Amino acid sequence: MEVGTRKLLDRSFTSVGFFAIILMGMALLILLQPIIVRGLKAFIFRGTVEYREMSLEQFGRGNAEALARDLDEALEARKPVYDILDSFEEEMKESGPEFRRQYRSDFSELKGLITELLGPREGAKEKALIRKKYGQTRYDRALIKLHQVLFVEGYDYSDTSGMGKSIETPRAELFAGTTIERLFGVLESDIEKMLKPKMTLYWRFLFDESKDAHFFGGIWPEMLGTLYLSIGSMIFAIPLGIITAIYLAEYAGHGKFVSLLRTCISSLAGVPSIVFGLFGLAFFINTMHVSSSKSVLAGSMTLALLVLPTIIRASEEAILAVPRGYREASMSLGAGKWFTIARVILPAALPGILTSTIISLGRAAGETAPIIFTAAVSVGKPLGLFETLSQPTPALPWNIYNLATEHEAVDEIRHVQYGMVFTLVAMVLLLNLTAILLRARITKKLRG
Amino acid sequence: MRSILKSIAVFSCALVMLSGMTVGNAAAEERIIIDGSTTVGPIAKAFAEYYMSLHEDVNITVSESGSGNGAKSLINGMCDIADMSRFMKQKEFMAAVEKGRMPVAHVVAVDGLPIIVHPGNPVGNLTIEQVRDIYMGKIVNWKEVGGPDVQIVRVSRDTNSGTYETFETMVMAKEKIHENTEYVGSNGAVRQRVQSTPAAIGYAGLGFVDRTVKALKVNGIMPDRNTVSSGTYPIARPLFMFTDKYPKLGTHLHAFVSLYLTPKGQEIIEEIGFIPVTKY
Repeated sequence: MEVGTRKLLDRSFTSVGFFAIILMGMALLILLQPIIVRGLKAFIFRGTVEYREMSLEQFGRGNAEALARDLDEALEARKPVYDILDSFEEEMKESGPEFRRQYRSDFSELKGLITELLGPREGAKEKALIRKKYGQTRYDRALIKLHQVLFVEGYDYSDTSGMGKSIETPRAELFAGTTIERLFGVLESDIEKMLKPKMTLYWRFLFDESKDAHFFGGIWPEMLGTLYLSIGSMIFAIPLGIITAIYLAEYAGHGKFVSLLRTCISSLAGVPSIVFGLFGLAFFINTMHVSSSKSVLAGSMTLALLVLPTIIRASEEAILAVPRGYREASMSLGAGKWFTIARVILPAALPGILTSTIISLGRAAGETAPIIFTAAVSVGKPLGLFETLSQPTPALPWNIYNLATEHEAVDEIRHVQYGMVFTLVAMVLLLNLTAILLRARITKKLRG
Repeated sequence: MRSILKSIAVFSCALVMLSGMTVGNAAAEERIIIDGSTTVGPIAKAFAEYYMSLHEDVNITVSESGSGNGAKSLINGMCDIADMSRFMKQKEFMAAVEKGRMPVAHVVAVDGLPIIVHPGNPVGNLTIEQVRDIYMGKIVNWKEVGGPDVQIVRVSRDTNSGTYETFETMVMAKEKIHENTEYVGSNGAVRQRVQSTPAAIGYAGLGFVDRTVKALKVNGIMPDRNTVSSGTYPIARPLFMFTDKYPKLGTHLHAFVSLYLTPKGQEIIEEIGFIPVTKY
């Protein structure tokens, strides 16, 4: 082949490789960008005065004096709204029953919406649920609520050939000619003064317990649960996995039974994770009774089973990849088999073993199905170290699913859901990064 | 070699310490484990947080895995309270008794079962027979009940659910739900499926119905607090918490399952959207 052609081929191969890398980078970006952008909204957002009030009352944080000042100003700005509502109520009382009938349901809907936006009025009956005690705590949510106040979402059913089309009409039209018509202009122009949004950094999202089913507060129990489960599974899986790998690589030989064993381990890696979950429930909890109910312990054991095949196979390969010369040199110096394995082969295989562990750790942290029946709950306190032996815990992957499908008001708290996703991704990345750095250090040591 | 071991030791110590950070403050002495219905879930979660805010030393965990699983958990002694949106079946009761557990029902709230459609659907009223015919597959197009010419998408809860059982007994009257029906695993999932599918019909607990879906009148009656508690709305049911025997007086478990009798408990139930048992 001519040198020119070869160079050309070489270059085109390089560029294809380069293109592939760019493509993957973009795919990652497309995948990660919304997670990061939306996830960060759980941490950084424009918090309203209602948020600061909630923060002070529920968590004891913030400056009480500044809040009182802000609240006073906000209440002052809200006064016209309430005045208009009051005067309309007067108007309803004074006018005839026909007028009352016409406006009653619209008016009570409007009042309900304004309560959702600004929170219950001063002097109103104390609400039982924390979420009902405050108005909108986040300004982005407040603007959506405001839109619901200003516009009635209706459907136009006039085209009978298909489903109705969504139309929005200004709510002011419903109250045309009454005192309340002014209200909407006031709300629209003064909403900032009424809620006083301020950029808020809520880093404690990671370390707070949730209040009122994730409406407020953070995700500490979930994070801690995920940590417990992933580390717990490693505590079971690493020793078992490495010992099995040593046995398979060094002692087992090449019999029929051993190759059957290898096939079994490989196919175990392909078993769907929900099967492991059900097995964990049936075996660890119902048969072995490792704990009386779901628990972190049972969940860790189940997750350990799930990642075991990966660890065994990768560790075995790593051990087999240690050059024969190492073994022979050690033996020739009079070292026994066990000593050779423990002091020569394992350290040399350590980087490979760690790689498998890293992959498994990330997998254990993110798995949902195995912990549904064995460890995860939707609400619970952060557990102490010894409580993990007997108690179940919330965990990030399960709670993301739970929020998305089962929560009664998920549309109001999407930011928490994204915050959890972001945290889970970041946690797995961080765990991996630590382990990768550790591995790099070890490899360097081994070379030096 | 030694330094390698050391760095591994440091790494694992750091992880254990990180996870052990809450050992001090979370010394929960007593625990209550709740499992079961996704319909009762919001009540159980709100009660749990309210109760834990009063009693720091109790850890209450709530899982929502469906009424059937709740019953199984109680029978196997895996939970203290089984949330159920239906009564225990005879089989379950017998299984429990055989294992020495005596299920006691606490009716914590009343729930209507609204039939929900997409808000763009012009249909506003169905008779219970029409709903049955829709789910049997006899009525397959919205135009047969006064809507547009669009195929109906049937959404139902899974068979493990108490909401499904209620629907099956109260609406289907022993007729079979058509096999070409979508089954989803929770109330929230029904709502999401219906709000995103204009041609869908589904059913969910009262506490799950919000502005994004439209509750239909059934036999001309809208499900709300009055019509459900008076029994005028035809599809209504009590929501249960089952315990093994009546809990010992003075225990946290007893206080917890009696929460629904307190004014605060009833307010919580009402604010979530369900109906308290009494007009407190």
